Formats: sequence, C-alpha cells, structure tokens
Amino acid sequence: MMYEYWLAAIPKLSDKKKMLLRKKIGTGKDIFYIEETKLMTHEFLNRDDVNTIMQAQKSRNLEEDFQELRRKNIRFLPHFSEEFPKKLLEIPSPPYALYVKGNLPPEDRKAIAIVGARKCTPYGEKYALEYGEKLAQCGISIISGLARGIDGIGQRGALMGKGKTFSVLGCGVDICYPKENRGLYADILEQGGGVLSEFLPGTPPVPQNFPRRNRIISGLSDVVLVMEAREKSGSLITADMALEQGKDIYALPGPVNSSLSQGCNQLIRQGAGILITPEILLEELGICGFPDTVKIDKNKKVLETTENMVYSRLDLYPRNVSSLIEETALSANEVVEVLVSLELKGYVREVSKNYYIKLK
Amino acid sequence: MSFSTVLSASIQGLKVEFVHVEADVSNGLPAFHMVGYLSSEVKEAAERVRTAIRNSGLDYPARKTVINLSPATMRKRGAAFDLPIAVSILISLGELPQESTEGMLLIGELGLDGSVQKVPGILPIVLEARSAGIRSCIVPKDNAAEGALAEGMSVVGVKNLEEVFCYLAGQLHLEAQPYPERGGGSKKEELPDYSDIQGQESVKRAVEVAVAGGHNLLLVGPPGSGKSMAAKRIPGILPPLTMEESMEITKIYSIMGLVENEAPLIRQRPFRSVHHTATRAALIGGGLMPVPGEISLAHGGVLFLDELPEFQKSVLEVLRQPLEEHRIRISRSHGSYIFPANFMLVSAMNPCPCGCYPDIERCTCTPGQIQHYLGKISQPFLDRIDICAEAPKVKYESLKNRKKQESSAEIRERVCRAREIQNRRYVGTTITSNALLEVKELDTYCRLGRQESKLMEQAYSALRLTARTYHKILKVSRTIADLEGSEKIEEKHIKEAIGYRTMDKKYWGR
Repeated sequence: MMYEYWLAAIPKLSDKKKMLLRKKIGTGKDIFYIEETKLMTHEFLNRDDVNTIMQAQKSRNLEEDFQELRRKNIRFLPHFSEEFPKKLLEIPSPPYALYVKGNLPPEDRKAIAIVGARKCTPYGEKYALEYGEKLAQCGISIISGLARGIDGIGQRGALMGKGKTFSVLGCGVDICYPKENRGLYADILEQGGGVLSEFLPGTPPVPQNFPRRNRIISGLSDVVLVMEAREKSGSLITADMALEQGKDIYALPGPVNSSLSQGCNQLIRQGAGILITPEILLEELGICGFPDTVKIDKNKKVLETTENMVYSRLDLYPRNVSSLIEETALSANEVVEVLVSLELKGYVREVSKNYYIKLK
Repeated sequence: MSFSTVLSASIQGLKVEFVHVEADVSNGLPAFHMVGYLSSEVKEAAERVRTAIRNSGLDYPARKTVINLSPATMRKRGAAFDLPIAVSILISLGELPQESTEGMLLIGELGLDGSVQKVPGILPIVLEARSAGIRSCIVPKDNAAEGALAEGMSVVGVKNLEEVFCYLAGQLHLEAQPYPERGGGSKKEELPDYSDIQGQESVKRAVEVAVAGGHNLLLVGPPGSGKSMAAKRIPGILPPLTMEESMEITKIYSIMGLVENEAPLIRQRPFRSVHHTATRAALIGGGLMPVPGEISLAHGGVLFLDELPEFQKSVLEVLRQPLEEHRIRISRSHGSYIFPANFMLVSAMNPCPCGCYPDIERCTCTPGQIQHYLGKISQPFLDRIDICAEAPKVKYESLKNRKKQESSAEIRERVCRAREIQNRRYVGTTITSNALLEVKELDTYCRLGRQESKLMEQAYSALRLTARTYHKILKVSRTIADLEGSEKIEEKHIKEAIGYRTMDKKYWGR
C-alpha cells in the first residue's frame, strides 16, 4: 500500500494517466521499480511524464510519509480498494484516490447534498438548517463542503438532527477551511461522520481545487439540494456536475428580485425539483416516516396590537428599525421596545445591528 | 546688591511647580552661565534676555552673570522663564530693589525688542499661586484675561520689559486685569442643529439617550447615512458646564496653549474629532515630558472617532484603560503623570469595507472581508461601549419630504432634565452620570421590581447576554427612565435598553 500511496502522491501526473499506468504495468511497487527504458515504451506517457516518474522514484522518505498518514488518522483509499465508494466509480473522471478522516457515507443509506452560497440570507440559512436537520433525522447522510454559509449550516443542521454528515474538502483533510468552522469539523467527526478529500494531506485551499471537489460532493449523493445561489456560482457548478452524473436536483424557490435566489429559480425553470417542505421531498424520494412530526398551529399567536403592527411587517429578509418606525408611525423607542419583547418571545431575531427578521 | 531671587513657575504634566529664578552678577571675566537642569529652549533665554534688556533702554554691563533655576533637579522647559530671568538680573544689577518682587510671581517670554509674548499654562499657575498665598502675578498682556479667571488674585498684564521695569520701580501704575464677565462672554458659536437631519429617528433617539447618561456610543451604517452628521450635532445637546468643570477644562486647554484671550473660560463642552491617522501619543498624551492628548482635551465632553476600524488597532487598545478609569496615567522613568480623561466616546463605522452590508444585494464584500473588517475592533473595546445604533441608508422620500424635525434645543432640554435628576441622585458621590456607575453601585441605583427582574432574567438566557452586557443594559435603562422622569425602572425602559446593546462579536457579520 505504501507504493500505491507513492503513486497517488506523484504531483503533475493526471489521475487518468495514473490509472492507465496501473492498468498497463501493474501494482504501485512494479511502477516504483520500473526502468526508464521500459516506461518509454508506453505511448500515453510523454517525455515530461517519464521524467516526473523517474524523479519520484528517487524519493527517500517514502516509508516515513506513509507512517505520517497513519499518525494523523488519515485513511488512504485508492480507487481499486474495497472501501472506495462505489458511487464515485460511476462518475466521469473519478478521483484516483481519497484521503479520509472518520467514516465514509454508508452505501446502504441515501445521501443528499446540501449546497449553496457562502454569503447567504437568513432565508437560505433557515431552510438549510431545517432540511439538514429533518433529513438527517430520517437517517439520510448529508454531504456538503464545510464552506461558510449554506454548506456549513446544512451540516450543522444534520448534527442537530443527530445524523451523520460528510464534508468533501478542496484542500487536504488535515486542514480545516474555513477556519471558523473548526468547531463544526470536530463535531462532524465526533458524531460519526467524516471528512474526505482527493487532495494530498497538507494541500492548501487554492481556488482551482473547489470545482473539482464539487464533482465528488454530487458524486457521493443521490440528490443535490441547492438552497441559495447567485446566477453564476459554485453551487451551480455542482448542480451541472450532478446533472452530468445523472443525479436529481432540487432547488429552494425564492423571491424573483433576490439575486441570491436567481440561481435556484433558474434551476427550477430548467426542470429541477422544487423544495416545498422536507416532508414532501421525502415522499417524492420514497422515504417516509418522521420520528416525530410536530405541527405548530400558526394562528395561535397571542400578540398585542403594537407588536402585531411591527411583526406583520417583518419577513425573512432583514428589515431595518428606521423603516419600521416610518411605516408604523410609532416612536423610535416604542419600536425598539416592541422588537425586543418580540425577540424575547422568540418571534424575531436581530441578525445585524438594528436589522430584524421574523422567525416563526 | 549682587544676588537676587524671583519667583516663577513651570508646568509638569498638569501640576504646577514653583521655580525660584536666582541671579548673581559679579566682577570677573564677562560671561553668562545658566544652570538648573535646563532644556535648550531655556538655555537660549540667555541671548533673548541680554538683548531684550539692552533694547529696552537699560544698561547691561559686561560682567559675570550666573543664573540658577531652583530646584535644580527638576527638568525645566519652555520660554516662560525669560521675564523672571530678566527681572532678577535687573535686581542683581541694582536697577530694581529686591522688595519690589516680594509676594509676586512673574512669567513670560521675551522678544529681542523687549516685548512680552504669551505663554501656555497661565491659568493653572495663577491658581496654584493663589493657594500658595501669593498676592500678585505679572503675566503677558495676551494671557492676562486668562489669568484673571483666578478670582481674588491681582493679575497684571504687561506688554514689554520696559513696562515691567517701570511698574516694579514704582514709576508706573498698572491696573490689575478685571475678572472677565462670564468668562469673557464666550463667543456664541453657531452649532449645527438636529433639525437638519430628516428621518433617522432611531439614531437621534440613541444619541439622546447616550448624551443623557454620558454613555459611550457606536454608530454603524453605510457611507452617507448621516453618522458623522448625527455625531457632529452632539455639542448642541450637551448639558451646560458647571463653573468647576469649566475651570478644570480651561486649565487643560491653558497648558496646551489653546485658550483664547478674548474668551478665556471654556463654557462649551469640548467636542474633539480625531482623524484615524492619530498616533497613540496624540490620543492619550505623551512625550518625554508628557503633555495631555486628545482624550484629556475631550475631558468633560465628547471624543469622536470616525471610521473606527481604520484606526490602528494598538491606538484603539490604549483607550481601554482610560475608558474604564476616566483618567490616564503616563509613566516615565522620572515619574508618572495623571491626566483627567472623563469623556464620552462617540464612534462611527461602516458595517463592512464597501459599506452596504447587510444589504446582500448590494454588498460586494466576501464574508472573510467583513469578518476581517469587524475584527479590527476587539471585544474588550466593544465591551466599553454602552449603546450601539444603526444608521440606515437615507431613503429618497425622506430627502424629498422635508418635514419639520425636532430642534437640538428641544432635545437638549430633555437631556438637561435627565442630567439634573442624576445630579440630585448622586449628590455627595463622585458619580456625575449614569454611565459612571460601578457594578457594586448598580444594586443601589438601578433596583428592579419583581417583574422587571424576571424580564432581565429571561433576556439574559434568551439573548445569551454576558455579565458585562447585563450591567450595561441596567445603566442604559436607568438613563431611559431618567429621561422619562420615572424613578422606577420599568419594563419598557429595559426593553429599549436591550435594543441598544452592542452586538456580541461572534454575531457580527452573520
């Protein structure tokens, strides 16, 4: 296995060529000891590739590097190994190998990806959290990219639903990017989920890695949910790849004037499924049975008149206190007072200073 | 008579130290020696004094002159010793009798033509002289009105050395400067008014509460939303200064040489707007011989920091201690200096580098950029800000519909009433406003009823408040109750105060 790792770790040699090498020559060990003249006979290798391999053969601390992986609790899974996810072998250009911390998504369970914009609105946040939680409760693995915004929130939701969630990274699995998701990274592993990547441990998060990792996110999932996306965004790349791989795509509809919902609405126009509630989604996927379905009677709110005046003007897009003052014709201190009492009752939340959204 | 001594004084930090200027003129090779731990501007007095004496129509014979400024261990700076040196030489030369300067303090800079120039620090020196039992002071004419603020002291303003000579010789009578009426009828400056601001009710209200209780304020909002406009109108609603406060502030300004002779007494609370390129020393004071900085010049008034995140982080952090202790201690190897710094901090900032957040439609910043921008302000610094308000983008309608807005005078009236209530409540203590309440005093002055306690308890857990935020909310609700003239802090006061709390760092930008 040490030699396989050596082969996988050769930089500047594409996955495709590595796979061909293995097919034509044999195991990693054979390739490690092969002579230059023999390599030259293979047409798919050009002069540079041969040089790269010869250079790599001179590597001294092969054993040490391999032990290092063990020490970091990182599993090395080449594409021909038993544990390598079968789903990934079916996609166009599968990764040559995966590096895994923790577990891989169980093959016998459905896996759903939740993806979306990094900079999202409270609207997207709310539903990413809700879908993450409810789907995880039904035993579905939630796949995402640990990114800021929708990705991380969806995974956080899955953890709240006591489920398993798996992060596919655009850097080495030993690096937590973005750093502020360190807590999430640790919790995912603790709750039996996993973090995986096709990049060597220690690879920094460079921009060109991310579109590549997106194909793995969709590849590992059966269904891809897009919560919020701009018209040109990474989430839509994931959706395109999912289409290519023949996966189902669902999008969360949003207001037509919100640029963050334009990507989603566009997907729906092109025929993606519409996310209405997690229950409907589960029904469509043929999974049923919520552990507990709690229904909140939305009409049973006991609010005072002034509270109602303010509350009825709020929605999931942040509203500013000053605009509320103008609309309600209440005084500044009254509006602030009412908002705080609504916040204490759990009806609204202050998302940024003096900007409020409706919660229930 | 060859030996003489004349009393003068110098400023060390904010303290006044008396200096005895001694002169001895004796036979020997013509020379001029000055001793007494002098900085170079004091040493240069030699040339000024000799020339000034000659140019004043007096004779200066070629003899050996020794000048000593005692106490000799104290570092002396500034040009204010010129006049006392000249007078002591004249006494030594026998031109004036020693008794002529008895019980008198002299201070002033000399020009080569013998004219007496203005110097900084007159007011504190004259006040200190008064308490030391000195009867009269001779000061530059341009500082006379300032000196006369010390009632009961005979302050004589002089134009040139000749005048001083004649006065001391008894050949000329000079009237002591009269006490300036109401501080010299301080110029009524045209202050900008809150009625200029259309809409922005929430910001105006937050400013009113902050001023009423002396709370530190942070205004957040996109560019052009009127944050600076709102801040610059604060002087118009600040409560008037008491005589005591006026004198204290004037003393600091006098040391910095910022007092105007026409209206020496500072009757308006200072409003110091500091640019974000300010250094640490400029802000808190400093130098080898420390001089007060902006925070001391804002003593009793407002320190305004616009574009808060643009300040160097280390500059903001040095503000933490003075914000807590309301004074600043600057330590040097030769001693430490304490400057008062009881100011209200008003700061303004954009919510993100482009200024549009949380309007995601228009904001072009990445989450990382926003975090980085907000991260420039540390949590301990935010903890010292009691009230945070958001100034939203100005709507077109409010630009068009020019409704009659409340004037600063009306707001000021309410602020003054609230301050009076506080003054009455804190009589006999060192507290001057609600913002200065210490944690242990909150139990006494911010007592809550049962219902109100329950509300606070609920808020504490529901909003995940910290202990510090909890105390800040109590203080601010005290002020809101005072604004309403209510002795009891009611639920609505607490709720409004909660609405003004500063967001905890971790919720910023999310």
